[in-house]
Amino acid sequence: MSTSYLRQAIADGDDEKIIRFVRLHLGDGSEKVGRREIDKSWVEATKVLVDYEPIDRDAIEKTLALDDATLASLFFQLHFHLIKRTDGWIHEGSR
Amino acid sequence: MTTSEQSVGESRAEAAADPRQTGRQLRPGLWHTINERYPGSMITKDDAVPLARLNKPLAEARVVMVSSCGVHLRTQRPMDVTHPLGYFGFRRVPSSARHDDLIIHQLKFPHDDADLDINVSFPVERLQEMVEAGELGSLSESFYSFIGYNMDPEKFEAEVATPIADAIGREAHADLALLVPA
Repeated sequence: MSTSYLRQAIADGDDEKIIRFVRLHLGDGSEKVGRREIDKSWVEATKVLVDYEPIDRDAIEKTLALDDATLASLFFQLHFHLIKRTDGWIHEGSR
Repeated sequence: MTTSEQSVGESRAEAAADPRQTGRQLRPGLWHTINERYPGSMITKDDAVPLARLNKPLAEARVVMVSSCGVHLRTQRPMDVTHPLGYFGFRRVPSSARHDDLIIHQLKFPHDDADLDINVSFPVERLQEMVEAGELGSLSESFYSFIGYNMDPEKFEAEVATPIADAIGREAHADLALLVPA
């Protein structure tokens, strides 16, 4: 979707169009796959935390002090980072 | 197992199959549905610049290559391939680069063959050979590379296409440009 299409959706408060865009992006063109990919990254994040490994809270606090654009981009990057751990990488390109 | 679970399992098995072995198109019907799946992402241009005639023999011509495959030197920072709207920058790739110097860091298209031989997507070594054989005059010092996933055609034109065109005019002094889509 073009940026202008997304901006119009944001102006209209049309969250359905925005989430459809996100699913298409994360699902490489398939909404159904994108929905599954979103679930996969949350599953992976939960799996990592279940063993109570030490967490660098200072790093998290410093990161959260960054600007919103950087954080939002990091949010997408973390999604791909987490699903790299799984079998069934769908993106065909480099891991 | 439910029907939907079975369907997911089957589609995962299909995804895992090597398309080079199965001969299966990775995304059949992709382009027929792109306007439905990505409304607003395709644009129409009515002011295209006409192609210029080559005014000298190829053996005397200086060639520049421009590719959307996202290739770059291994020593360069990878382009941002996870941003949902795309990446609006480009990389200069030395025309003297060899396969081992280069990498494609991309998500949106299969490049496993190009990982084995970069010339599949970015025929830099083939062009070097053509110069050595006297079939081409020379290569510009740099070639240009960007990623094709961009959701803002106007921003792409302003921040990628125009700067590359300007760089070609200012730096490359090329007689012809080889445009290589990925």
